[in-house]
Amino acid sequence: MTRPQLQVLPGYGETDVEPYVDFCGHCGKRQEAAAPASRVCGNCHLGLIVSAPGSLAPGAKEPFLIVDGRLQVCAVSRRAERLLGIAEADVVDRQLTDVLLPADAEAVGVEGFVSTIVHAARGDGIVRDLVVRPAGEWGIRWFTRIGPCATPSAVLIVLAPNG
Amino acid sequence: MRTLKTSEAASELNVSPNTLRAWERRFGYPRPMRTEGRHRLYTHGEIASLRDALKEGLSISSAISRARENLRADTPVLVGALSACELDRADAAMEAALALRSVERAVEEILLPSLHEIADRSGEASAPWAFAVQWASDWLNRARRLAPSGVRPLTVLVGDATRDEQDPDALDTWALELFAQRAGAEVLTLPVTGLVGLGDVLANFHPRAIVIAGSHAGDDDVARWAYAVRAASGPLPVALYRRGSRRPAGRTTGTLVLPHSPSAAQHELMALVEGRPAAPVPASEPSVERSASIAPVQLRRSASA
Ligand SMILES: [Zn+2]
Repeated sequence: MTRPQLQVLPGYGETDVEPYVDFCGHCGKRQEAAAPASRVCGNCHLGLIVSAPGSLAPGAKEPFLIVDGRLQVCAVSRRAERLLGIAEADVVDRQLTDVLLPADAEAVGVEGFVSTIVHAARGDGIVRDLVVRPAGEWGIRWFTRIGPCATPSAVLIVLAPNG
Repeated sequence: MRTLKTSEAASELNVSPNTLRAWERRFGYPRPMRTEGRHRLYTHGEIASLRDALKEGLSISSAISRARENLRADTPVLVGALSACELDRADAAMEAALALRSVERAVEEILLPSLHEIADRSGEASAPWAFAVQWASDWLNRARRLAPSGVRPLTVLVGDATRDEQDPDALDTWALELFAQRAGAEVLTLPVTGLVGLGDVLANFHPRAIVIAGSHAGDDDVARWAYAVRAASGPLPVALYRRGSRRPAGRTTGTLVLPHSPSAAQHELMALVEGRPAAPVPASEPSVERSASIAPVQLRRSASA
């Protein structure tokens, strides 16, 4: 008597997860493939090594921020400090909306902005694009890529000032 | 208090000594003490707290923020113990604080903030405040008894211008006296209202500087007392501590206004006594030899006390 067997059907079980790359959460420098012995960047000494999908991870000159699922700022890259005129130590643990807001609030709304971050924090793996502006300023807008990063699991916001 | 050399602290955090120094410059943490030879010495508690925070952190800033929070966790314990009039638990809270910090930092980061919180909550005319002040006075006095006195030929006369023990400025003044003594000075405190027999005392105690501490006594009383001291001991430099004066940008007409923080005040006071400019040194930077001389276990109140 033959017993029924489970079979993998084409398209199922094949994860489509983009490989993650490692970079420094302060200077942004990409790290070698081998896991470093320390989580601290050997280039600037001032950032921890973070991972994100290759298409999301910041390029050499792209400023970025990292926030957690509660929308609290966890890291601000050196270039983002310069671009936003803030010091990481001053904004760590503050709400992201103290720093960035959606540029077109009528179209997206602060709720939509928040919801994008929350979804990214849940790790749905999707990289989204959004236009933002610095809190308290108008007439400036930046295109951003928003998606998951680790570890621990958080949200990476890459700013593209010239985008 | 367990301490680590730079290489040991760096190894514990799995970073290089250069990285540690870069963090000290940028974040002010970890904040090492210095040995007599000016070598850095880190408290194990500060390094362990940072090591744990780095494991779950996304940036050095956020890890340091977390590590600082963890170290401040002793404050609610002390506030709770003093509010409940539990002497042993209050002593234990300070012992725990001393396991992670120098005496100076335990006083500035745990004892003083806890007392100020009780004053804010209950008011300065309350029984909890009176109880807390009595405990703090006792604790600081015990620490002073264990600190070496007159190691260096630095003598400081403190003119007590506070109202009484319940005056919040008295607490900071006691802390300043303790820190100055731990830095090697001999400290004598006299009330600014007591002129009788002052000359006899000063015949045996030769101060190098005068500190007027507290804002309760009026300017006339203070002026009379300072005049009597200078008449007996010569034209000594005068510093004001907690006298309600706005701190000027630099030293003004001969009278130095000390910063509010007892450790920063002690640092400037020592520079004044030694006749050198006060270099910008991080607050609470005690000498290690003396810091290690008061082990937590030594501060435990005896059963008979
Ligand atoms: Zn780096």
